[in-house]
Amino acid sequence: MEQEIELADEVPAVEWLNNDDQIEQLDLQTIANFNFNRVSSDEIIYQKKQNKCKMVGKYVMGDKLGEGSYGKVKEVLDSENLTRRAVKILAKRKLRRIPNGEMNVRNEILFLRSLKHKNVVELIDVLYNEEKQKMYLVMEYCVCVLQEMLASAPESKLPLFQAHKYFVQLIDGLEYLHGQGVIHNDIKPGNLLLTLDDTLKISDFGVAEKLELFASNDICTKGQGSPAFQPPEIANGHDSFSGSKADVWSSGVSLYNITTGLYPFEGDNIYRLLENIGKGVWSIPEGLDPLLTDLLLNMLQFDANKRYTIPQIRNHIWFNSSPIDTGNRVFVPPLKGDVSRSSTVLPYLESYHYESRQNNVYFTEHDLNEAEELARQQQMQDSSSSSHQISKKNSISNDEAYSTRESSDINKKRRTKKKFISCVSVKKLTHCRQS
Amino acid sequence: MPLFGKSQKSPAELVKALKEALKALETLKVGGDKKAEKAQEDVSKNLVSIKNMLYGTSDSEPQTDIVVSQLAQELYNSNLLLLLIQNLNRIDFEGKKDVAQVFNNVLRRQIGTRSPTVEYICTKPEILFTLMAGYDHQEIALNCGTMLRECARYEALAKIMLYSDEFFNFFQYVEVSTFDIASDAFSTFKELLTRHKILCAEFLEANYDKVFTHYQRLLNSENYVTRRQSLKLLGELLLDRHNFTVMTKYISNPDNLKLMMNMLREKSRNIQFEAFHVFKVFVANPNKPKPILEILLRNQDKLVDFLTRFHTERSEDEQFNDEKAYLIKQIKELKPIQSDGTSQSSQQQ
Repeated sequence: MEQEIELADEVPAVEWLNNDDQIEQLDLQTIANFNFNRVSSDEIIYQKKQNKCKMVGKYVMGDKLGEGSYGKVKEVLDSENLTRRAVKILAKRKLRRIPNGEMNVRNEILFLRSLKHKNVVELIDVLYNEEKQKMYLVMEYCVCVLQEMLASAPESKLPLFQAHKYFVQLIDGLEYLHGQGVIHNDIKPGNLLLTLDDTLKISDFGVAEKLELFASNDICTKGQGSPAFQPPEIANGHDSFSGSKADVWSSGVSLYNITTGLYPFEGDNIYRLLENIGKGVWSIPEGLDPLLTDLLLNMLQFDANKRYTIPQIRNHIWFNSSPIDTGNRVFVPPLKGDVSRSSTVLPYLESYHYESRQNNVYFTEHDLNEAEELARQQQMQDSSSSSHQISKKNSISNDEAYSTRESSDINKKRRTKKKFISCVSVKKLTHCRQS
Repeated sequence: MPLFGKSQKSPAELVKALKEALKALETLKVGGDKKAEKAQEDVSKNLVSIKNMLYGTSDSEPQTDIVVSQLAQELYNSNLLLLLIQNLNRIDFEGKKDVAQVFNNVLRRQIGTRSPTVEYICTKPEILFTLMAGYDHQEIALNCGTMLRECARYEALAKIMLYSDEFFNFFQYVEVSTFDIASDAFSTFKELLTRHKILCAEFLEANYDKVFTHYQRLLNSENYVTRRQSLKLLGELLLDRHNFTVMTKYISNPDNLKLMMNMLREKSRNIQFEAFHVFKVFVANPNKPKPILEILLRNQDKLVDFLTRFHTERSEDEQFNDEKAYLIKQIKELKPIQSDGTSQSSQQQ
């Protein structure tokens, strides 16, 4: 449960002195009295924010799943049919700061609306809030991003059988996209989502391009994808390139990445990186499956004309093989300690229906400091006497609503604790503003 | 299988027993005859044993790879798969489902990069033809359908089916009066025409005339569902870039344009809407052949008027409205063919 603090009283704004004359006019007495008051830490009182149940349209908002430059992604629950969904929240204010931001979003909506395939993420609904200048893209709920799973895996790579399973689905989805005249332009593990039943979904069509219905080739000009996944022709700054071959290249880099945990091209900075891609020299780590190596060699072929097409990938022997299940599959990593990634909307609904509004929870800065101190001690003791600690922690708040799990969370993670500092209500002091 | 005592039969024994029972069943008439009943029972019993070997049961795991591969080998050698399908109508209800399950499991089997059952069926295409003919028989149509779609996932098998004469029977199967069979046949039909993009595109190009003469009948079918489904599939096929050549061929034929214009005026709004997505391709074509251009010009004012009032309630659908506006603009801007014979299209080139 996310814990936030609400401002209990409105603190009057401080009036700033703008010029010397004003200061001179001030009663010296006032200035003499104007000093910093020390406040005892147990006099600073925080109030635990209620899990406020918020609705957008017919969707009940849950916790944040991720965040990008465009805004947040939150989990939601469709209140009409109780399905889990994810919502991408786009603030116009933020979009303006990103080059082509608003264009890209328009693009994405347009593409997703017209696409329907098992391996392409489905856009369910688009909501606008004119007042807040926000846009909500409601999409299928996916349990995790492939990138996230990779990061949690040993050596940041997946066993071959699992990588194969995802790669086949990636090619299925890509073949469909190309058939619809859509070039994705930004294939990478960070844009591949996984559902609960292990289906891969291609997402993020922000920089995708649509080919003209009657275009006889697939020449693209944009190439705004992620640098590490771009083909040499883009790295070398060609004005136009074959879109489908560019997607094949990025899929090749992705395959390389998920099977080895490495990138074929690296560089200290983006210029070095692009320079290295432009040269097109890369190597296969030792011990990689020879059939897979062969496929990678053909997908990461420098010359786009010689590079494999999707039908060629489909006919490749590794694609058609089924690597043996070695029993070491990587699972979806836990989110905030929750292994099963259960719905984050439910706590909001529970507090909405079962917690009375008067049931406010207060705790002081002193409590928090103590808790932090305890946590530090606990770390030093290497959690040898954990039971004793927990009982102490519980004493921080006598309120029942303040559950054991939450309080121990504060103790364990200093980061969580810091969130409390941002909003405070200050007792006794009326003219002082906490910074 | 008894819990104690008798040890489990080996794959070879099972296959042999099943084959004998099937042979008996084939020669005997079902019903009344005790012997026939006995044969049917034996078939079902042995099928269950084979199924359990492959899938396991609630309290036993599936058999080891060695046993399964022995079983598969016996199935190939004894030609039992074909025999099972040929006699599918004689097997009881549960048994029919078991046949499909066994068949699909064995089909999916892989050894390294090879799929032995796919290779085996390639050498015995009768299996596929018998399965396709299954749509003629109500009682086994759906079982055959599940097996066919599993086969269609493999390019080699899909190719055999597409290029066979039997494929064209699908144009009848999708229209049969039994709804569940017709729609099952349609999903198999669609799978065959869309699954393997390059194969399908080549097939459609090579057999363009034959396929689309048949297809025309589906579009003119008296059955609403057939009309609607086939129109939708047509749109999907034409708008898939893999079928670019087929699409350009289709939209140069004035008869096809006339048909779509008529379908735009159908009673059903769903059909109107699907027809719109095919019609738009004719108009968007930058190189319209003369006959197409003439038809559009003849109806220029009427079309603009018609499209302006077409499905105006879809105000939410941005893409549809954009496309509609684009079509209206295109049609308004159409120029008649000039007297010196240069058409609008050749000017553009």
